[in-house]
Amino acid sequence: MSTTLITRSMSVAPSRPKLTPRQVRRRVGRGVLLFVMILVAGVMLYPFVVMLVTSFKTESQYLIGHGSSLQSWKDLNQTLPIGQELLNSTIICSASIFIVLVVGGCAGFAFAKLQFRGSNFVFLTVVSAMMVPLQAILMPEFVNMAKLGFTTSYFGAVIVYAALGTPFSIFLFTTYFRRIPDELIEAGIVDGLGYTGVLTRLIMPMALPAIATVTVLQFIQIWDDLLVGLLFLQNPSQRPITVGLAALAAGRTTSIPELLAGSLVSALPAMLVYLGFQRFLIQGLTMGIDR
Amino acid sequence: MADVVFERVSKIYPGGSGVPAVNDLSLSVADGEFMVLVGPSGCGKTTALRMVAGLEEITDGTIAIGGTVMNNVLPKDRDIAMVFQNYALYPQMSVAQNMGFALKIRGVAKSEIAQRVQEAARILRLEEYLDRRPKALSGGQRQRVAMGRAIVREPQAFLMDEPLSNLDAQLRVEMRTEIARIQRLLGVATVYVTHDQTEAMTMGDRVAVLRGGLLQQVDTPQDLYDFPANEFVAGFIGSPPMNLIIANLDDDQGVLRARFGDQSLLVPERYRQTHGLAQWIGRQVVLGFRPEDLMADSINSEDLIKARVDLREALGSEILAYLAITSNTDVVLDALPATDAETVRKRSRVVARLSARADVVEGGLITLSLKTDNLHFFDPAGGTSLRAPTS
Repeated sequence: MSTTLITRSMSVAPSRPKLTPRQVRRRVGRGVLLFVMILVAGVMLYPFVVMLVTSFKTESQYLIGHGSSLQSWKDLNQTLPIGQELLNSTIICSASIFIVLVVGGCAGFAFAKLQFRGSNFVFLTVVSAMMVPLQAILMPEFVNMAKLGFTTSYFGAVIVYAALGTPFSIFLFTTYFRRIPDELIEAGIVDGLGYTGVLTRLIMPMALPAIATVTVLQFIQIWDDLLVGLLFLQNPSQRPITVGLAALAAGRTTSIPELLAGSLVSALPAMLVYLGFQRFLIQGLTMGIDR
Repeated sequence: MADVVFERVSKIYPGGSGVPAVNDLSLSVADGEFMVLVGPSGCGKTTALRMVAGLEEITDGTIAIGGTVMNNVLPKDRDIAMVFQNYALYPQMSVAQNMGFALKIRGVAKSEIAQRVQEAARILRLEEYLDRRPKALSGGQRQRVAMGRAIVREPQAFLMDEPLSNLDAQLRVEMRTEIARIQRLLGVATVYVTHDQTEAMTMGDRVAVLRGGLLQQVDTPQDLYDFPANEFVAGFIGSPPMNLIIANLDDDQGVLRARFGDQSLLVPERYRQTHGLAQWIGRQVVLGFRPEDLMADSINSEDLIKARVDLREALGSEILAYLAITSNTDVVLDALPATDAETVRKRSRVVARLSARADVVEGGLITLSLKTDNLHFFDPAGGTSLRAPTS
């Protein structure tokens, strides 16, 4: 009997296990999802591809549809002080984000871990500032900054960007710090730290996802912003890349390849920052969901 | 190294109900002593510990460490080390960095930090884990790192806040002996908070029992078990806890008897002196006896208790029999100080710890003999022991 069985099993080629209806549904579902994701990615990436390809054409090559050249990049470099404007954008972004992180970190720690009278009310008031659109406060802000003489330096734009970004930063840091056990802070205090030491040496190093989230979102927002740069940076030598690009589009050139080369320069840093911090960003934005 | 002295310490949380979390606590922990604070949730034991650490302000009274009053001293300057319930290890640091962090803040030389961390790691058998992050350690190893962090400080006192409560049962038993061993090795005054009376009994040189912010009794584990100061301590210490039933004391022609329901128990004459029972004759008392003092064998006619078996728990080495004392209906429940139904129900229930071979059947009647050497009597009004303090 056993001999027969062995013989049969050896003579028949092993067949693939049959899929259950549930497994089939799951595989089809995954396939559809993948297709949709590829489609969405295509839609999102298409403008960048067009930008990239077109920027390496002259205007005539663009019109006839073939050929490549570096002429648009050379023209862009001559029309705009591109290096200076990138530097301006970097300075404004860095300074604003630094203030947003410092204020947000300190305030978030205070709201999450220090008990003081009216803390919830103050927190809600600060966080509700997130709902106020920039356009609603733009004119009073401009008047204030102009009176203080801050519109002739980076300072005015930096202060405005920091003020706009701080409520979100406070909200995010508070949420993040609330997850950290009080005992960790108390352990630091018993070990010999003050509150400042606890914040800088224990808590902030643990808050990398929150720091990354704030940094990326603020960077994208500030780097891509045009309105504040237009209004609060009156000195042409201090204007950021977005304002330069707007000036380019407003009449310095009508060359589409040159404009797209400028747009690419403007968009690339924000994309790179996003890609670099993507892992932390997801952690930061999904924190609290696991509980 | 130093002693820790609580002198009439109270704590009322601002904005709370005004009820003291710790009420007039006076307690002295000698140099090198292992003092356990034990009690149910909300009894104030953790608050008391946190006041020693400086993590809570003291509303009234003083706390002194090594003879220096610490009320207005910052936590970092108190020279104490604390082990937290969830270990509170710094996740971004390695085991060695965690252990040496307090020394680093104090500006101790790197070489000395390394040497002290190595020494602590040796004591705690953590040498091979020094480079790991806390998340790569098991619960028991994290617990040991938390201990290590305290040890390297070489503090005046150790404070431990339920450090074993996050461990599984087997590991808890191991770490119990480990902590006791290390404490004895180092000889540092230790205040250890737990709600687990087994931990309290096995680890402490002395145990302080708290309830509702008030110190109930402080004594050695054995004396706490043998001579509880009140009903609460009697019911809290021991597992299963002491049996407490309402009884009437009678003087039957010179013989002292405790009557409950239609049953009576001969009370040895010596309790008349040791517990001042003469003045309680004709009155109700709370009679207490330990589950192990009820026996199914060696029965004589004078000290029998008849009961119905409600529940039988066979533990292998012994049987726990949960009994309802029969004909207990005329017990005057209204006279009980505690009016809640649970307490009243408990007053007519007793537990017996019987030998594994005892003939115990659920629902059946059983007659047990009570060893009257270790009877306890409490005032039914206040719950305090009637035992004279000097006896």
